[in-house]
Amino acid sequence: MTRRTWLGLARHAPLLVWTAITLAPIYWMVMTSFKHSGEWVTWPPRWVPHEPTLINYVKVLTPGTSTFELGRQTLKILKPLWDSLFIATTASLVAVVLGSALAYSWTRFGTGGRRYPYNILSIRMVPPIVIAVPFVVYYVTLRLLDTYTGLILVYLATSLPYVIWMMLAFIEEVPVELEHAARVMGASRFRVLGRIVLPLTAAGLVVTFLFVFILNWSELLLAMTLTNTEVSTIPITLNKFQSANEGRDYGPQAAIGTIATLPVIVLGFLIQKHLVRGFSFGLLRK
Amino acid sequence: MPGVMSRWLERERVFKWLPFVPVQGLFALLLLPNALLLVYLSFLSWRITRGAWWNAPFTGLDSFLNALGDERFLWAVGRTFGFAAVAVPLELLLGFGLALLCREPFRGRRVYTTVFLLPMMIVPAVVGYDLSMLLIDQGPFNQVLSVLAGRPVTVRWLSDYTAAKFAIIGADVWQWTALTFLVFVSGLAGLPRDPIRAARVMGASRWQIFWHVELPLLKPVIAIAVVLRSMEALKIFDYPMLLTQGGPGNATETIAVYLWRMGWEFARVSDAATMSLILLVVVSLYIFIAIRVLRRERRRLAEEGVR
Repeated sequence: MTRRTWLGLARHAPLLVWTAITLAPIYWMVMTSFKHSGEWVTWPPRWVPHEPTLINYVKVLTPGTSTFELGRQTLKILKPLWDSLFIATTASLVAVVLGSALAYSWTRFGTGGRRYPYNILSIRMVPPIVIAVPFVVYYVTLRLLDTYTGLILVYLATSLPYVIWMMLAFIEEVPVELEHAARVMGASRFRVLGRIVLPLTAAGLVVTFLFVFILNWSELLLAMTLTNTEVSTIPITLNKFQSANEGRDYGPQAAIGTIATLPVIVLGFLIQKHLVRGFSFGLLRK
Repeated sequence: MPGVMSRWLERERVFKWLPFVPVQGLFALLLLPNALLLVYLSFLSWRITRGAWWNAPFTGLDSFLNALGDERFLWAVGRTFGFAAVAVPLELLLGFGLALLCREPFRGRRVYTTVFLLPMMIVPAVVGYDLSMLLIDQGPFNQVLSVLAGRPVTVRWLSDYTAAKFAIIGADVWQWTALTFLVFVSGLAGLPRDPIRAARVMGASRWQIFWHVELPLLKPVIAIAVVLRSMEALKIFDYPMLLTQGGPGNATETIAVYLWRMGWEFARVSDAATMSLILLVVVSLYIFIAIRVLRRERRRLAEEGVR
């Protein structure tokens, strides 16, 4: 073989191995979601369902509440799906509006002082479990436990640092001269915001929104802590009877996993190029 | 009246505080009382089942001594750091290696990068659930291992004391190598061309260029990856919760899982608060260092940008 083929092999072999490692679990879950109960656990395991079925999706998507009776679990997700969607959307939307306004205000006027973004960042770094215990006591007192408002407020607070840091980078790209020129010509500050800054950062706003939406959609710990029976998100539902040793509903749970994953993967790929911004503390050049 | 209103809002000293006030208000409303409550609760002896917390007996520093004497807590802390110490370097090396392999254009590169990013877009709880199916005793993972090993492999990934730890680490590595890969790919793509070209003109070998030019230039990127992953690894909660529920025994009980159980399963709220506070102190030190590193790297980048 030539040197070229060897080099190609040396490159592709590890990449193919990692591709297999990456795809196998995803493949398994999607396949399981189409299996009848007899095929969930077999030896040898069935990598392809012999009789593909939609029954798992039908089961979890029919209205009703999740139950665990006689060692048999039934998971329903219409309500959690709606709760997740509503909570994540609202929190992310408000966070993007407030956070980007604050990022703008900081880059243009230095509101909050030079170190402000770093202070915000350090809040984001505190493990949520630290605050979880007093949070319950606090929320019980305020009667916010197990309410939409309660969870939305929490997600709003946890999203804000991400929004501020992501939007800082986008806003720094808006030429200040343009804003000055508009101001000199008599445009009000709000007009400058609406006519210059908003259009120039529109893409950034969408990217940021989707990014924090994904985070909020996936969050488990705080959701588990601050909800009970009234409000329930998808990750909580998935965890609900996971500790049960008997009557595990592998198929329907796989269906839930697939349903929960699909939108996130689609959104993730929409913002693939920008995904790294949310994680990079503004330390990466494009 | 709207005219007066908007003119008032237009003033610089009003305008610039418009977003600041609600954001700080929110933080003050949510975080401040909780911080105070955390400190206060941590000095009490109180369970959910024992009346109102404001009537609970004050135990003062004893609660801290108790917490520090709680072996299960100390083990959970050590275990969490242990998981991080194994998982994070693995993620960094794997991510960096894969990113290097995907550096230059070649056929299929786009497909690889797209696939490699998938795991980080999956809900962590779903990853935990997914692996809980794959890793059952007679599951597909043992099947694949058996085929590769050429003899039956029957590792009890979810119920063996040692294997379960690897299951948790494996979940973290599977999902978050995607992130380190992404960070390194972007970092490599953003490397300035001139110093590299200059080194090549001066006759440096590929290895020398990599070691003496590119790696130092990648420092901020490496800093990001290290800070991000080590920070997150200390929060591990979703995987043990869905995979092993902290078991078998306490083999996979991380700090977050133990504190969660403490507060909710055992209802020992004040003890959980004490431990949370101890954890906060430890983490604060780490955060302080992390922020300093990030600030320094950002300043350096800004200086380079000027030049």
